Amino acid sequence: MQLSWSSLLPVFILLSSMIPGLLIFAVREEQVSLRTTLNLTGVVLKLFFVGLMLYGVSRGQDFRFALPFLPNAPLVLHGDALSLQFVTLSSVLWLATTIYAIGYLGKAQLRSRFFAYFSLCISATVGLALAGNLITFLLFYELLTLATFPLVVHRGTPESLRAGRIYLAYTIGGGTMLMLGVALLHSLANTQEFIAGGYLSDMAEAHDVGLRVAFVLMILGLGVKAALIPLHSWLPQAMVAPAPVSALLHAVAVVKAGAFGIIRVVYDVYGVETSTNLSLTQPLLWLAAATILYGSVRALQQQDLKKRLAYSTVSQVSYITLGVALVGPLAAIGGIVHLMHQGLMKITLFFCAGNFSATLGVHKIQEMDGLGNRMPMTMAAFTIGALGMIGVPPIAGFISKWYLGAGALQSDAMWALLVIMVSSLLNAAYFLPLVYRGWFCASPQQGWPAEQSWPGQRFETHWMLLLPPLFTALLSILAGIFAGSFFSPLGWSQFIVAREFSL
Amino acid sequence: MNSGAFYLSVGMAVFLIGLHGLLVLQDNLRRVIAVNLMGAGVFLVLVALATRTDPVDPVLQALAVTGLVVAISATAFALRLVSARIRHQQHKTKPDDGRLSSHKDKPR
Amino acid sequence: MNYALVSVALPMITVVLLFLVAAPVYSRLQTLVTGGLVIIITVISLSTSWLALLEAAAQSTTSYLAIGGWEDGLAIRFRLTPVVALMLTFTALIHLLLALYGTFSRHGVPKDYWSLSCFLHGSLAALWLSADLFNLYVTLELLSLSAVALVALAGPGAWKPAADYLLLSLAASLCYLFGVALIYGRYGLLDIAMLTVVVNDDLITRLALLLMTAGLMLKAALWPLHLWLPAAHASAPTAVSALLSALVVKAPLFILWVLWSQVAPPVMAQQIGPVFALIGILALVFGGFSAMRTPYLKVLVAYSTVAQLGYALMALGLLLAWQQPEMNSALWLFVIAHGLAKTSLFLAAGQMQTTLGTKRISGLRGATQTTPIAMFAFAVAGGSLIGLPPSGGFLAKWVLLEPLLSQPQNWPWVLGILLGTLVSAAYIFRLVVMAFDRARINPPDISSDHVGQWLALVPAVLVWGMALAGEQLIQLLGEGI
Repeated sequence: MQLSWSSLLPVFILLSSMIPGLLIFAVREEQVSLRTTLNLTGVVLKLFFVGLMLYGVSRGQDFRFALPFLPNAPLVLHGDALSLQFVTLSSVLWLATTIYAIGYLGKAQLRSRFFAYFSLCISATVGLALAGNLITFLLFYELLTLATFPLVVHRGTPESLRAGRIYLAYTIGGGTMLMLGVALLHSLANTQEFIAGGYLSDMAEAHDVGLRVAFVLMILGLGVKAALIPLHSWLPQAMVAPAPVSALLHAVAVVKAGAFGIIRVVYDVYGVETSTNLSLTQPLLWLAAATILYGSVRALQQQDLKKRLAYSTVSQVSYITLGVALVGPLAAIGGIVHLMHQGLMKITLFFCAGNFSATLGVHKIQEMDGLGNRMPMTMAAFTIGALGMIGVPPIAGFISKWYLGAGALQSDAMWALLVIMVSSLLNAAYFLPLVYRGWFCASPQQGWPAEQSWPGQRFETHWMLLLPPLFTALLSILAGIFAGSFFSPLGWSQFIVAREFSL
Repeated sequence: MNSGAFYLSVGMAVFLIGLHGLLVLQDNLRRVIAVNLMGAGVFLVLVALATRTDPVDPVLQALAVTGLVVAISATAFALRLVSARIRHQQHKTKPDDGRLSSHKDKPR
Repeated sequence: MNYALVSVALPMITVVLLFLVAAPVYSRLQTLVTGGLVIIITVISLSTSWLALLEAAAQSTTSYLAIGGWEDGLAIRFRLTPVVALMLTFTALIHLLLALYGTFSRHGVPKDYWSLSCFLHGSLAALWLSADLFNLYVTLELLSLSAVALVALAGPGAWKPAADYLLLSLAASLCYLFGVALIYGRYGLLDIAMLTVVVNDDLITRLALLLMTAGLMLKAALWPLHLWLPAAHASAPTAVSALLSALVVKAPLFILWVLWSQVAPPVMAQQIGPVFALIGILALVFGGFSAMRTPYLKVLVAYSTVAQLGYALMALGLLLAWQQPEMNSALWLFVIAHGLAKTSLFLAAGQMQTTLGTKRISGLRGATQTTPIAMFAFAVAGGSLIGLPPSGGFLAKWVLLEPLLSQPQNWPWVLGILLGTLVSAAYIFRLVVMAFDRARINPPDISSDHVGQWLALVPAVLVWGMALAGEQLIQLLGEGI
């Protein structure tokens, strides 16, 4: 284990949030400035290190850190193109969510514990993003469960505890399935590092039963976090958590970790060829399509705003799985870029939902009438997010749907294209009414359910609650407008897919 | 059968009687005796096995003596524990004359 | 070998010293002095056993010492192998952790704990080193007597479980001794290495081995002969519960392992292997269910021991069934990981019970706010019991899984491990979730003992730190014997 800059930088990225997180445990509730300083230092450091790594990778450097752990299965942190995309997304959105959380929690109790686990959660997320092989990925996947659980039960009410139990039941069960799959694969092929095109092509015929079983186990394990049906039930329940938790975890960290894992398994462990030869992609495709439609239908039925957004997440994350399972370069681009785009748009929506509930006590759809008059900027951000979800240009969501549709055509899967179109219609059906209510309906006469204002407030709500959704909404638009350039998420995804499909 | 085999079977029988007593009896003192019976059975087996060779096997004699020492210490400990418990239970059920007040005398 | 001898002799000498010199420990100063002495002795013992481990690992051969210089067959021999050296180190480590807890935490240990625990340490160390069947009997008896005495220290409430434990333990030892007598009667040998060569598969040997197994299973609290354990744990002092679960029940397991992997002929071992593995799975399931249902905290941890010993028994059974020495690592990794995790669990449980003034699990509502560090220690140690990466428990589970997964006909056994993981997660998280309750917090009765809580965290951190030495440990232990 040589200690050079190229091997230590991944570790620094990991530690930049872990160490402040551990330190924050010891910070007392009253020491607000110390805690905020630790938080923001961690955020800034992480962005700095990630920037360094991006710069290094663009110059052709390779960043790899290895630590012996199990026989033939070391712990490896490796910064390749796909991991960097996820790491950048997580780091940037962590910045936004930290500011949002500081504003949202205000003077609530147990802030130190909250922010400590928050930082640990981000550490686990970048850990699994930077993971260079399955065992490292498994390790951080389980640590993510452990770090997010205290956030889900943060409020400590009976409903939170119940949601926490359900969350644990699903995620620990899923983690065990994933572990069994990784262990099975290890016994067949040893735990080699992720490589574009996979490392299992030589043994596909010899061990086809074992490989198939391992794939099913791993998809089961990953599918829990990626909210594939029928493993998705924890996600709507977990909406009892405070809004920053829902925003980061369920729009970015936890759900994306599952989808990211599926991308890794299909592309960098099995490879597209082996996956198709073992006929593993067809069932995955059907599952993804079913989840997309189911999620959208259930979202229509919800009257609680966060629950509607939760089911929308269930549906939208399966676009990523759909793109992966369609096994074609265009679909792959669509799936991978949707990881970024959906993160940006969904977090905007959750931030806005949190603003509505914190400022005005609005939790339900029916209470949303006239929000546009009272909170125009938040409503504008919400509109941008919603339109992006539906797939309206030039917001980022349009780009991903375009590529997914083209990919479906490329793979001769007309029915998948149909699924995408129907789902877009359903998205419109459950998002447009919200937008309509917000802008075109009059405010309720009896006033808002629970209006709150902050001392020195100059805008429609606290500035820390307002800035993050505006920021992420802007990013969503920019990602769509500048999709053609190399530095956009799209350009990046094209780069990743070119290497995967050896184009 | 020769004497060795006879004592061997007697030893086994005593062991089994002791085991039965331990499992069935409730009173702790009797269970201590039952365990001692088991011990006696095993030692008899050891000694009976020793007589099979000529001269008598010293190793088995040594094992029996060591076992006896261990059994004595263990029995002493068991008896101390059991008797302490019996005395404690008698102390609990006896009316306590030394109590400072009973609930009848509490002021209302 | 010399290092190992020092490691054994020191605690025994300390016992005598403590009896002769120290008065019963009542005041804080006396605790510090006595505890300090024991800590120093244990540190030296730990260092010497660590040196013995390094030596044994470097040479990777077995070294023998004939006591008194007598020849083979007559002499009582001590045997030092990598596994034995590791167990010596492990014993000293657990004793050190508990000695630190007893000296520096406010909760502390009963006043007669010190001499008895040194005695336990010495007898256990002598057990690991023993190389013949009768010496194993004697050291096992010493171990059991000191363990019962330690349990009884809690006061009159603990005398009944202690008496039950003692009587059952004595009966079990006598079963074992009967088996030894039969073996000697059949083969004329007691030394293990010499027996390995001459043992045949016949009726007397089978009877002897079965008798010995029955006795050892009861002493090791292996399902279904485990019923004395929860009662003993519920009443014993905290540090004693830790000793009991982490160390005392592992000694009969060690003897069982020696017996079946070295003394018994391979044919017999292969027959009993699947039986052990099946009993292991039943222990996991039934122990786990009992842990989920009990309302008392220490009883939950006790049933967790019963369940986790199921893992060890599974590893032993599969090791015997397939005669693969690599699976030795799985067994001993479990033992070490479980020992450390259980020490942490009991210390944390003791802290929470004392501070919150409750013996029930329902009394732990809101423990993440009232006793945060102890609860954190409990959760972290529980994570190792469940087998979350990268803890020691995960390491052991991984090593156990590899040979199971490599061949499709062994996959049914994997279900047992899967069940064990899920059941462990259920009872650990049952408690952890309740601790996050903010709506109905159980307020503490007395102020928190921070030192004690941090000391409870140390073994949990150690068991997760085992991951750093994962590869070396697996290699060291996998060589067998």
